[in-house]
Amino acid sequence: MFELETVDADGAIRETQEEAITRNDAVRRAVAFGGAFLGGGALLGMLAPGAKAATTKGDIAILNYALTLEYLEAAFYAEAVANNKLTGELAVFAKVVGEHEAAHVAGLKEVLGRKAVKSPKFDFQGTTADPAKFAATAEVLEDTGVAAYKGQAGLVKSNTILVAALSIHAVEARHAGWIRAINGHNPAPAAFDEPLTMKQVLAAVKKTKFIKS
Amino acid sequence: MPHHVTLDVADPDEVIRGAMTRGHTRADFFRKGAIAGGTLVAGGLVIGGLPEIALGKPSASQDVDILNFALLLEYLESTFYTEAVANNALQPRVLEFARTVRDHELAHVEFLSKALGSKAIGKPTFDFGDTVKDNWKFLATATVLEDTGVTAYDGQGTRLTRKTLTAAATIVSVEARHAAWVRQIMYGAEGYMNAPYEYPAPSALQPAKSKDQVTASVTATGFIKG
Repeated sequence: MFELETVDADGAIRETQEEAITRNDAVRRAVAFGGAFLGGGALLGMLAPGAKAATTKGDIAILNYALTLEYLEAAFYAEAVANNKLTGELAVFAKVVGEHEAAHVAGLKEVLGRKAVKSPKFDFQGTTADPAKFAATAEVLEDTGVAAYKGQAGLVKSNTILVAALSIHAVEARHAGWIRAINGHNPAPAAFDEPLTMKQVLAAVKKTKFIKS
Repeated sequence: MPHHVTLDVADPDEVIRGAMTRGHTRADFFRKGAIAGGTLVAGGLVIGGLPEIALGKPSASQDVDILNFALLLEYLESTFYTEAVANNALQPRVLEFARTVRDHELAHVEFLSKALGSKAIGKPTFDFGDTVKDNWKFLATATVLEDTGVTAYDGQGTRLTRKTLTAAATIVSVEARHAAWVRQIMYGAEGYMNAPYEYPAPSALQPAKSKDQVTASVTATGFIKG
């Protein structure tokens, strides 16, 4: 069985996740018909007119942070689908979720316009060519994505950006629940999901060595 | 409290009624077709919900109002799951889901009650009929309830003070996990024959609903007796 160590070499992601989970045990337009994914225009469509003009420096930084994570996820899923090694529900998951992440990339790029960061180059180190490695990595990525968006929610200044961020946050949580169910893991391991800070997430991502540049 | 919203208004695709009363073949459920475009996941609802989402500058008293709205939903869900588990009519995987989610919703009730203190609403009386006695009706209803919870929390996000939002955000993603989980139980083994509705994540964006929309939907179920 694939070990998480391969994708999470220093246990960085797991540690922050587990710590976060156990620490507090007390707390435009949507739908894709026929498999077509929601394009970036729909994300923009969720926002009030003038949303782009209203974006503060802080919000731009948050959006670019989100975009970086979405670039990573979208590339991971696209590569997995292209490698064509997945079957059954895992294959469906990769295709559907990949479409969502691609839509998130497109939407965030459109909102950011000239201010959008470019995509990093990635090396997923074999995790897109092996079903077990893919499944384990996807679970970590989705859980991390949930915690990442959650960590920023309280910091977003623009309400229109917040609407979009909360929308994507919930979808990432659905992705996380789905892949956990596929993996035979508890889809909702805690009554309250804890946030991770931008620093924590970026440090964890750095340790995966998925980002080459 | 009397409510005059008829089921036809709040449940035009007869999803909730179908879940509660009808034969529960897949054909029945999806003959209504536009469930994905109807009550739960329609793009139009996002736009339609925006005016209320935009209104209402955050304040401590508005937070109380919104948290009590959330508490009502959590009371409903926690009671639903508690009764379903107790009635012992669920299949093993479904029972595992119900038990876990019950415990989460009870924790949410506790959290919100504590946050609200003396301002917390009391627990209403509920009647869930067959939905807590029949495996498939339970699943169909759980799907509706979990999706509704996500739309409800997301619809209030911008109306909360950012501090309360941070706390509420720890709950909404758990409801979304629940929502994905129940769809995976229902449709995963058969390969999601009715895409995208059956997908644990039906769309790239999660729609939100206004408080009025959610209240109307919930009221129309008839689950709340007083």
